[in-house]
Amino acid sequence: MSKLIIRYLAFSVITFFILLSCNKSSQTPSGIVRFDVQHKANGSTLELNKLIYTNAAGNQYMVTEVQWFVSKVKLQKSDGSTFVLKNGEPIYFDTGIPATLSQSFDKVPAGSYTGISFIFGLDETQNKSLRFTNPPESFMFWPDYLGGGYHYMKLNGKWLNVNGLIEPFNFHLGIGQIYDTIAPKSAWVNMNDCCKSARHCEGYQPPQKTMPITGFVQNYFEVSLPLAFTIEENKTQSLNLQMNIEQWFKEPHIYDHNHWGGSIMQQQAAMKAGCDNGHNVFTLSIPR
Amino acid sequence: MCLLYQYPAEVKLFQVAALSLIILFSGCKDNPTDYWKPTPYQLSIPFGFPTKLNIPDDNPLTVEGIELGRYLFYDGRLTGRTHPDSLMSCATCHIQANGFEAGINHPRFQGGFVHGITGIPTRHIMLPLVNLVWNHSGYGWNGFIWPDNPNINLRNIEDFVRVAVMAEDEMSADTTRVKQIFQQLKGYPELFYKAFGSDKITFRNIERAIAQFVRTLISANSRFDKYLRGEVQLNPSELRGFVLFTTEEGADCFHCHGGGGNPLFTTHLFYNNGKDTVFDNLHDRYYITGNPLHTGAFKAPSLRNIAVTAPYMHDGRFSSLDEVIDFYSTGVKYSSYIDPLMHHVLRGGVRLTPSQKNDLKAFLNTLTDLDFLINPAFARPEKFPDQQ
Repeated sequence: MSKLIIRYLAFSVITFFILLSCNKSSQTPSGIVRFDVQHKANGSTLELNKLIYTNAAGNQYMVTEVQWFVSKVKLQKSDGSTFVLKNGEPIYFDTGIPATLSQSFDKVPAGSYTGISFIFGLDETQNKSLRFTNPPESFMFWPDYLGGGYHYMKLNGKWLNVNGLIEPFNFHLGIGQIYDTIAPKSAWVNMNDCCKSARHCEGYQPPQKTMPITGFVQNYFEVSLPLAFTIEENKTQSLNLQMNIEQWFKEPHIYDHNHWGGSIMQQQAAMKAGCDNGHNVFTLSIPR
Repeated sequence: MCLLYQYPAEVKLFQVAALSLIILFSGCKDNPTDYWKPTPYQLSIPFGFPTKLNIPDDNPLTVEGIELGRYLFYDGRLTGRTHPDSLMSCATCHIQANGFEAGINHPRFQGGFVHGITGIPTRHIMLPLVNLVWNHSGYGWNGFIWPDNPNINLRNIEDFVRVAVMAEDEMSADTTRVKQIFQQLKGYPELFYKAFGSDKITFRNIERAIAQFVRTLISANSRFDKYLRGEVQLNPSELRGFVLFTTEEGADCFHCHGGGGNPLFTTHLFYNNGKDTVFDNLHDRYYITGNPLHTGAFKAPSLRNIAVTAPYMHDGRFSSLDEVIDFYSTGVKYSSYIDPLMHHVLRGGVRLTPSQKNDLKAFLNTLTDLDFLINPAFARPEKFPDQQ
């Protein structure tokens, strides 16, 4: 009996070391990438709640909070391959939650990289209602009637309107709605396809104050930020991901709060202008 | 106990016997021992609800703790008094049928405006005790109790129990006297032992038991929940109301009060919603944060069971849902402190038509959860431990 136990133990120990050595030899050297998110306005750190900024339309404005998602973040290697962070899952940033503004991701293959890319917001494969049930992400939900899923971004603030009053604005981006036939049909998605994960979309009647919704527009867009950086084994590479607030209102469309008003979730033209401008909003750099 | 394995059988037998005698003749079971094993209570997460719960590590839910908490929640001797005219329990004000608020129909507190046992008007209107196990952002209208509070005595529901028991505009009780009374009441020490491993009653364990019970007060079976789960269909008016509730060009309620993607029907956050232009309430959110922008801001309460939880707003200024809807429609007032989410303010509100107001009210009524309001597990016990 005791011989049997000794044999068993010996076999186990040998197997353990064999597996250990195999595992070690197959490991790819990896490091950590850390994103430090910075919100800037006109080149300086964004100061919340201060009516000290002027956008390209001449609106004096303040920002009270910025909450946003990126997804499918890819690190582009110099050999042309890519490494997808967090399996492409959405990543949430919030000026009110400092912990979200510095996020690290491990197991990034060591090597030379040429830049990153990401989806601003969530694409149709990920933007499903109730995929987040916990706050703060769940508080970003985008009503199913308006297309479902989640806000890509809530940028809240106030501006000095033409009457000299400080008026609130909610620059919220997400799935747009087609209330008429202006948008190309190729951009439409089926309402049931969009909402089926929530199981409670059928039977909606359009509100009396708006036109019937005939389809939806996916407003997410891809951002590509070239930057040479290196991931070294067992080391952390910091990257500054910067959102330049003024760019949301600058080019190619000059965005005037006096024109669009305080809320744009049901104004596809405003959201499209915002998303077009979003291509120029981000910069990536290595901290000095 | 592993020492038992290092001695001969005779010694082991002696040790076991000695241990048994100690247990048998121990008059006061002060310390939790191996044979005290409360039954873990598993909360089931309703469809669409958050999975992260606010349950402190030092007060996990147990069947025994919740049972004790229910007795204490309903026992008027929590005031530290025993005279029939001097009794007040949590349930004196927190009425189950009214979503655990006083309610406008309260027999003792006219209009739902409560006062303490000594007659002092309570400083605040009540907030509902519902789904608080998912509240991570602070308790009370201004969030004066919150998990990361540097003051470790004001962090969670347990602390709120103590505050309510001691406040002179509530129970105005002496906590020492409270625990002495329950120590002497037949049946309670045993229940404390079952819940916490000690029959020596401490006020901390009173807090913990009540907090456990409160965390089980879950409302998740309203008509809207059934609709969300695909079990029932809302009628056309309710559906139109739901659309109004969740659209910026409709009633625009959802950013603060949730909806299909946030079935808590609150963010548990704090907003200045445009009720006033002069701010003289010394207990608003600014009182807690010191941030001038939080002037006049108060918690957005959960709208679950909103039809039975009048009066409304932090000061109870509205006695009906119609008044609340009228306020958000045309009564919103401008100030520099108004929350940015109140972007309709310069029009005075969201400007609903009469039929839209009816639809919105019809939707709000779908948030009434009758199963919650009559759930026997949350109701007053037929008898208290000393009456059995």
